[in-house]
Amino acid sequence: MGADIKALRSRIKSVDSTLHLTKAMGLVASSKIRKANSAMAKSRDYASAVQNTVEVLSLSPECAKNPYMRETDGARTKIVVIAGDRGLAGGYNANVFRLASEYPDAEFIPIGKRACERFGAEANSSESFSYADAKALCDALCKEFCEDKFDRLGIISTKYVSMMTQEAQISWVLPITRAENAGNVGVIFEPDEMTVLNTAVPEYVAGILIASLRESFASEVAARRMAMDSAGKNAQQMIDSLQLEYNRARQGAITQEITEIVAGSGT
Amino acid sequence: MNTFLLVIASPDGNSFEGEATGLYLRGSEGDLAVLSHHIPFITSVVPCDCKVTLPDETEKIGHTDGGILTVAEDKVTLLSGSFAWNE
Repeated sequence: MGADIKALRSRIKSVDSTLHLTKAMGLVASSKIRKANSAMAKSRDYASAVQNTVEVLSLSPECAKNPYMRETDGARTKIVVIAGDRGLAGGYNANVFRLASEYPDAEFIPIGKRACERFGAEANSSESFSYADAKALCDALCKEFCEDKFDRLGIISTKYVSMMTQEAQISWVLPITRAENAGNVGVIFEPDEMTVLNTAVPEYVAGILIASLRESFASEVAARRMAMDSAGKNAQQMIDSLQLEYNRARQGAITQEITEIVAGSGT
Repeated sequence: MNTFLLVIASPDGNSFEGEATGLYLRGSEGDLAVLSHHIPFITSVVPCDCKVTLPDETEKIGHTDGGILTVAEDKVTLLSGSFAWNE
């Protein structure tokens, strides 16, 4: 009986320290959510503005001959995979890797420590990946695409639907597809459409990449907060049930002791 | 003086969004100025100092590391990977 009480006390202590850990991680995630959401909104606006410009350019007949708009069979695929730097964020990283596994022939470019571990690349951080890093990566990728070293470029990231829901998604950024609306009537390009498109595409790819990174980070902190909330609730429930068991065992020991004393004094 | 809506956007947010009377910067073909009622056009911008004149006749100068300038009928947008106002 004494050993049971001791074991229960040590389990309660252990679950309690887990509860403290989940609370702390939940609080850290909460403090990052606002900043992450604001960064996500700003980069989304930028990406959508660059996308509009590229759409206008794609309508120009001159640009149809541009290597960025060539028609490909998509056989040689490169995919940028954005995952988190840490675990304990529910299914956040697992969902991204599950989607990546649907493209077994693709060459992956991982961003985030977890993705780098998974794909065996040099570690980089998705949280501190700057626009300059994104631009350098996209400039190199665009150069390779123009040299016909691969056929299409995709980005696997996580879409932030709400605090409760985040979905892994893939967006194809290269080659550029011709937009459907005719919004470029009367627009002058300086010096010409081709040159402007060649400048705009790396900006566009970098804009989409940075927007996906910011959105993925907002999804990661939201997923971590929800996961920690749920882990905290489970830990609290476990402590309550262990406490009940501990009280019963303790009461049982006291009752047994009293019974033994009464029995001893009766003889 | 006539004004137009100017937006200077970068991935870290809009550095400027409001009415301006003029925008002066360096495009791929040389220096250029955008005033109200400019014809719609799109050009690439090289890294340069960029001057914005405001309706109260003051001016602001910032630095862009290059990007795309889009002039539409109702709005002028400078998309720049990095933009910072001079102190």
